[in-house]
Amino acid sequence: MRTPSPASPLLSVTSLKKSVPGGRVLFDGLDMAVAPGEFVAIMGESGAGKSTLLNLIAGLDTADSGSIAIRGTVLDGLDDDARTKLRLAAIGFVFQAFHILPHLTLAQNVALPLVLQHMKAREAEERAHAMLASAGLSGRGNDFPRALSGGELQRVAIARALVHKPALILADEPTGNLDPETAARILELFATAVRESGAGVLLVTHSHVAAAVADRTLLLARSGLREHDGR
Amino acid sequence: MAADMCGLSGVATRWMIAGEWRAHPARVILAALAIAVGVALGFAVHLINASALNEFSRAVRTVNGDADFQVHARTPLGFEEALYPKLARTPGIAAASPVVELPASIDGKVPLTLLGIDPFRAGLVTPNLMGRPVAAETTQTAAPPSATDNALGETSIFLSQAALLALNKKPGDEIQVSAAGQTLAFTIAGTLPGVAEGQRLAVVDIATAQWRLNRLGRLQRVDLKFVEGADEPRVRNALAALLPRDAEIVNETTQERRTDALSRAYRVNLDMVALMALLTGGFLAFSAQALSVARRRSQFALLRVLGVQRRALLFQVLVEGAVVGGIGAALGLGAGLFLAQGALSFLGGDLGGGYFSGTRPQLIFAPGAALSFFGLGLLAALIGSVLPARQAAQAQPAIALKDAGDAADPRRAPGWRIALALLLAGAVCAFLPAIGGLPLFGYISVAFLLAGGVGAMPLLARVLLTPLQHVTFGVSGHLASKHLWGAPSQAAIALCGIVASTSLMIAMAVMVWSFRNSVDSWLVQILPADIYLRVEGDDYNAFAPDVQQRMATVPGLQSIHFRKVTPLRLSPDQPPITLLAEDIDPANPSALLPLIGSSRPIPDGAIPVWLSEPATWLYPYRAGDYMDLPLSGASGSTRVFVAGIWRDYGRQQGTVAMASPDYVRLTGDRLRSDAAISLKPGADSASLPDAMRAVMPPSLAGRVSFVPSRDLRKLSLQIFDRSFAVTYLLEAIAILVGLAGVAATFSAQTLARTKEFGMLRHIGVLKRQIVGMLAAEGALLGSVGVVAGIGLGIAISQVLIHVINPQSFHWTMETRLPFVLFATVAVALVAASAGTALIAGRRALSGDAIRAVREDW
Amino acid sequence: MRALKWALALILLATIGHAADTPVLPNYAEVRPGVTLSFPRDHGAHPEFRTEWWYITGWLDTEDGRSVGFQVTFFRTRTSTDQRNDSAFAPKQILFAHAALSDPQTGHLLHDQRIAREGFGLAQASMADMDVTLNDWTLKRDANGRMTTHAGGKDFALDLGFTPTQPVMLEGEEGYSRKGPLPAQASHYYSLPHLLVSGTVTRNGRKAAVKGTAWLDREWSSAYLAPGAVGWDWAGFNFDDGGALMAFRIRDAQGQALWAGGSYRDAKGALTHLAPGDVAFAPVRRWHSPRTGTDYPVEQNLSVRLGPATKEWRIAPLFDDQELDSRAGGGPVYWEGAARVHGGRGYLELTGYFKPLKM
Repeated sequence: MRTPSPASPLLSVTSLKKSVPGGRVLFDGLDMAVAPGEFVAIMGESGAGKSTLLNLIAGLDTADSGSIAIRGTVLDGLDDDARTKLRLAAIGFVFQAFHILPHLTLAQNVALPLVLQHMKAREAEERAHAMLASAGLSGRGNDFPRALSGGELQRVAIARALVHKPALILADEPTGNLDPETAARILELFATAVRESGAGVLLVTHSHVAAAVADRTLLLARSGLREHDGR
Repeated sequence: MAADMCGLSGVATRWMIAGEWRAHPARVILAALAIAVGVALGFAVHLINASALNEFSRAVRTVNGDADFQVHARTPLGFEEALYPKLARTPGIAAASPVVELPASIDGKVPLTLLGIDPFRAGLVTPNLMGRPVAAETTQTAAPPSATDNALGETSIFLSQAALLALNKKPGDEIQVSAAGQTLAFTIAGTLPGVAEGQRLAVVDIATAQWRLNRLGRLQRVDLKFVEGADEPRVRNALAALLPRDAEIVNETTQERRTDALSRAYRVNLDMVALMALLTGGFLAFSAQALSVARRRSQFALLRVLGVQRRALLFQVLVEGAVVGGIGAALGLGAGLFLAQGALSFLGGDLGGGYFSGTRPQLIFAPGAALSFFGLGLLAALIGSVLPARQAAQAQPAIALKDAGDAADPRRAPGWRIALALLLAGAVCAFLPAIGGLPLFGYISVAFLLAGGVGAMPLLARVLLTPLQHVTFGVSGHLASKHLWGAPSQAAIALCGIVASTSLMIAMAVMVWSFRNSVDSWLVQILPADIYLRVEGDDYNAFAPDVQQRMATVPGLQSIHFRKVTPLRLSPDQPPITLLAEDIDPANPSALLPLIGSSRPIPDGAIPVWLSEPATWLYPYRAGDYMDLPLSGASGSTRVFVAGIWRDYGRQQGTVAMASPDYVRLTGDRLRSDAAISLKPGADSASLPDAMRAVMPPSLAGRVSFVPSRDLRKLSLQIFDRSFAVTYLLEAIAILVGLAGVAATFSAQTLARTKEFGMLRHIGVLKRQIVGMLAAEGALLGSVGVVAGIGLGIAISQVLIHVINPQSFHWTMETRLPFVLFATVAVALVAASAGTALIAGRRALSGDAIRAVREDW
Repeated sequence: MRALKWALALILLATIGHAADTPVLPNYAEVRPGVTLSFPRDHGAHPEFRTEWWYITGWLDTEDGRSVGFQVTFFRTRTSTDQRNDSAFAPKQILFAHAALSDPQTGHLLHDQRIAREGFGLAQASMADMDVTLNDWTLKRDANGRMTTHAGGKDFALDLGFTPTQPVMLEGEEGYSRKGPLPAQASHYYSLPHLLVSGTVTRNGRKAAVKGTAWLDREWSSAYLAPGAVGWDWAGFNFDDGGALMAFRIRDAQGQALWAGGSYRDAKGALTHLAPGDVAFAPVRRWHSPRTGTDYPVEQNLSVRLGPATKEWRIAPLFDDQELDSRAGGGPVYWEGAARVHGGRGYLELTGYFKPLKM
């Protein structure tokens, strides 16, 4: 893994334009930069394109125009395989719907990114167990997700997002499916974990509570992103 | 599993596959079983074919000994024995062994081939035909006089071990040998140790055969051995120059070709039917895989998001398919062996086709074939996985992750171009000719039509369901049609299975039904007399003229017409054509022969013959042509005029029908074995057999059967049904497989729709309305499938009837549609579909559904 | 060949057989005294009799000075097959033949055989003169009296010509040679000793020119052996001075002579017919066959009473192992070997030592 020079941003988005099938333009001329280790929240109305923006950054979708660079690597010129490789190496995900695979144990779920990078199963699972422990699920690595509550599932997801020490975490409404108490606890865990890991975070959310954890908040509108001063 | 270029992680793949199987073992087992059934059927049929053919070859080789090659007579009447010393003296021939060959029946119950050989000659050319006497040798040259020692004598016979077993006799016993119109006593002098196990053969001295069985002056064959290092082609040419028209050179290759040709079409057809079973199994595997992938769309999307490359995902699904296919194929091989063993024991080597009589062949395991069928099973599973795999890999992860409904956009009309292209290709192939006597393009056409029909299902379903969108018949119906409309790819998968299996089944059913009807009406035409009489066994020469005379004078008889049925070799590569000599009236041949078209006017002085339909496929003769028959004329052959063509389902290798008087004039052969009897009105048919038997030689009387034509028709149809028993079985399996596919589809979907049902219950839909919805979905799907299946099936049946059957067996038939069957199948399938949908959806109505809404998974 | 074993066993078995309904058996002609042999007709076959042979034995000298022995014999046998059998294949007459080469360097006999039923020109024996064909083997006499033979197979081949140098020697009483106490137990018998041989012997593809002396025996009979007889010893010698001796004894199961006889023709041509009491064979040395376990008296003292005197010859074989095992072709096992006596060369034949011989 290349160690980025402190001067270069972790994520750099320039003049991004995206429209949906049907013609409606989501955003045009969008610029953004995330520094390494920076925690950025993005808020906006439903349908503003927050999730689409995340997909674009993750390389899962292509913009109409503009450019995205992660750790200096420009995504536009890369083909799907290269983007996938980059995604595996550099990004971690936390979703609103958890997306924990029901047929794997918790440890196997967490170990997935490592295993996909061709780490040996035993070693990967050991690290997964350790991650689970630090997510407050120690000793439960061999359980199946079936019996877990929503909050526990999201802990597993957070562990999975961080286990491979990615440079960037993308979180899409991570507390959206949780009740307020659980949401608060999860948020706390998430914030602690990512700051410990030193990864940059892009968090998309409705919730002001969630956004409050971030270093800065951006508001997504048609014209682009602008600073949001909270509340 | 090491890392490789596409980024496939072995550990991840292992986890994903194992996890999936642990969670849903039933589905995996089902898919494996489907492949297993297909492979088992295909492999079993192939093994049976191979074993039977092997058996048949052995039988032929046994009778022919191990000669380098032979000079064979073209008819059972043989050729002049003066040819033998000429052959023996040809330079390059080390030894020549003259042979008399006759079909015979021992003790009235065991039919076999009787050979008359000269042991001194045979010992040099075909030593495996030599008999071993059982007399002990106490002195150097002679033993005490007893009947068993007279081995060259006129009453000694040697029997193979299998013949002894069948007769339950041992050396020293006396037996009755019936051949060439007479029955004689022989004493068993010993055994034939050189004859292969299971083969029945009897050997006597050649002088005995000629003298006692009235074959003086003629031989059926001469077995030949080359001098070591001889120039074989030159010797062969020298021999060919010596041969009269009624003899031909035959060697092991031509023998094999003949054996092969005899039943090749039948066996290939059977192989094809078995492959269809494999295909249906493949479809089921495809359904299972497709559903499994569809269900796991979001999981696959997650993997893509986490960073799994497209190719890696593709490979994972393919690996799953391969493992399922491998397990299924391995199971199938084992089951196939078991099936084949059972079938050989119970049905015989021809599976009821009537080609190979008597012995139950031994099963020969064919490692090469086993490997091929294993490969085919694997291939079927892989092909069934490819499409879903590609789908999984190509899917947009973002959309899939949200699990927002069906993968396909319901608003887009499904593609129709590929399906149309396939259908057109199928139509074109149907018009192409046979290759090597096999309807290969016919099979390809069927495959294309099937693929095209199945591929057109999404479009067809849409077309058929669209009108229903505007008709509401109750909540259930409404919900059902909306769901089918809104999830076209899932519907299409379920339909694939039904349509594929239904259409194949319908196609076979239509063909068999048409065939049966054609055979039935043909039987009526070809059996105009009241009672038919024939002699058991392969004996063409049972009744001598004086016996025939006596038979004609039995009271109660309106008329009796004797027929001669004898094989004739027109070509070294083909099995013999049958010569039928009957009391045909040249002015009115259609009284006895079901003519196709009319009979040509016969030129003066020409001898008319009528060729059967299969003969016109195999040989280049048509009505109005002249042809040469190897009947003894001055040069051993006679020129005859082909006056017409007639339909014959009885003999696939062709028949030449000739008027009896012409036949007698040409060959002088007055021995007969078949007769057609018409009774006087009011005559007592029950007493006729005894009256007839009274005027026959006693040994014959026991072997003669009298069959009223009505019974003969019934018997023929029974044989027909028995021949197609296997086809019927395969049809049933096809249907079951299709239904299993439907059940799998519905059960898979229901699990995924648990939330949906829960939601419906929440908003106030009654339980029974959901039940109704499921039943309606099933019924609708079943109806669409049945309609499409029957339509496609009829189309495919036309290829079977007008292309595959004529090219394989050289006969035509008229299409008859079994409407009753259609109705039954339709009702049954619709009901079964509705039923399986219901059963699969039972879970949905439990408490789980309501709870599921709250949860995510 | 192994297959022929059974075949030949069978024909010889078949000499006594019947068909299911009473077959018509052949009437075998009887050998009677007082029948004058006339030539060339009697060089040919006599098919009414049961058994007949053309038996040539002799010594060949090769170009490199070595001597080998040879035997070529053509047999004819009339089987007891049903005489009503009209088939051209009816095995009414069977021809079979042996050929053997005795080379001391080889140490055992090289031999080959043929057998066929007479017919179709492929195997036949002329009745007019000596002209026997058996597939590819032949024995033929031309108008000048010279005989030629071709016999042999894979291991060796003999192409020899025989020129008679002495007149026919009638055995017994003018060719009526008794073999037992009953008058019918006899054969018609003549010999041609001192035949001059020239020709080639082919071995391993190489032809070698040979010259030598041979002895032809011709016999035909329907009842050769008396009951109780198991075999015979026979000796035929060409003396260097031009004389010729033939002596035989028929043995019983105890090894005693049941009958004996022979002929001696001196150098000037005076023929002495030997009565049973005039001939005695006394075994001196036996050879044990490792293959069949048979003991053959290969060295014998032959004493012959000629008039008042008794002459004795010690018969010594060229080498011991000259056993001919023709069981592969269904024939007997016997010893037929080139042998020497003082002043002459010839052949010694010992039959019936392995198992009793039946004819």
